Amino acid sequence: MGGAGPPGHRSLTVAAEPGRERIPRRGWTDAGSWRGVRAGLWAWLLQRGAAIALLGVIALHLRNPFGRAVQALLLGLVLLHALLGVRAILLDVGVPVRLHRVLFAGALVLGAALFALTWWWRWY
Amino acid sequence: MILRVFRGSPGSTERFDEFRVPITPHTTVLDALVRLREEAAPDLAFRYACRVGMCGSCAMVVDGRERWACRTRLAAVAGGAPGEPTVTVRPLYHFPLVRDLVVAMEPFVARMRAAGAAFVPAPGVAAAATVAPIPAGSRERRAIDAAVECIGCGACLSACSMVGWNPGFLGPAALNRAWTLAADRRDAGAAERHPAVLGEAGVLRCHGQAQCTAACPMELSPADSILRLRRRAVVRLLLGRA
Repeated sequence: MGGAGPPGHRSLTVAAEPGRERIPRRGWTDAGSWRGVRAGLWAWLLQRGAAIALLGVIALHLRNPFGRAVQALLLGLVLLHALLGVRAILLDVGVPVRLHRVLFAGALVLGAALFALTWWWRWY
Repeated sequence: MILRVFRGSPGSTERFDEFRVPITPHTTVLDALVRLREEAAPDLAFRYACRVGMCGSCAMVVDGRERWACRTRLAAVAGGAPGEPTVTVRPLYHFPLVRDLVVAMEPFVARMRAAGAAFVPAPGVAAAATVAPIPAGSRERRAIDAAVECIGCGACLSACSMVGWNPGFLGPAALNRAWTLAADRRDAGAAERHPAVLGEAGVLRCHGQAQCTAACPMELSPADSILRLRRRAVVRLLLGRA
């Protein structure tokens, strides 16, 4: 409490006690925290997750380029990462943020369609 | 229904107390908290003022999402989960805890100051109080109006994950304010603001998750404001301006 104010008035400023500051943060293991995660953060997490997963999948793919499961995983992760990146670029260049959920859904649907198409037309 | 309420203060053991509260379809979270304090928990700390969604002081996290307690009906939040519905309330994230549901708003004010949130009259513009209004319906006015109604509740700062990971990040509210000034041709403070607003702790730190826009009870879109500022920053970079 404290601070200057007009005569006869008390300041209503409430400050945290110095030296004992406690700042609540969302916890990864707290289910309640995850309820606050909206579409935009899911899109961000998915894109980053796909990028990290790609590091491992590319290594596996280099060891054996003909493994079907790894091929499918690689294709899926590349599409996911790239299309969510396109979504982010579209928002950057001026598509209104109110459309970000539509762009997210569009990226997932287009990714699924491209995956199916590419998988169907693979040459070997 | 059961209301789970965060209790604790810095240095004390934190816990959630559970209270069975009677509700009607129109009972708000704030109604329930006031009743709890009158009947069951006289030492429960929470902040409110207007009770009608004008001041923003009752912002808190209700079932994981930032909301105003006075405008949130418990029945709507509890939904149709099986068993006795439970709603959890806790203080805003990313603000220093004072006690129970009360947080100190200093980080909000400090970010506003760091972003240069005060209007700086341009040469020829006498004083803020006598500034000629921007014509209604003009493009400039529409751009500013869309972002200007922030009442400083702190919900966006609590919702932003980047504020959580980078405490130096100016955050959505301050950058949204910076956009309203950047779009205002009567303001002359842009040059002083640019280092903070367009720098590492400014728009570059935003990852466009739009958590702020989803959380804003005033239905503003700080994410749009930040992206607009960022586009300006890119243009300035391409034009070679400092």
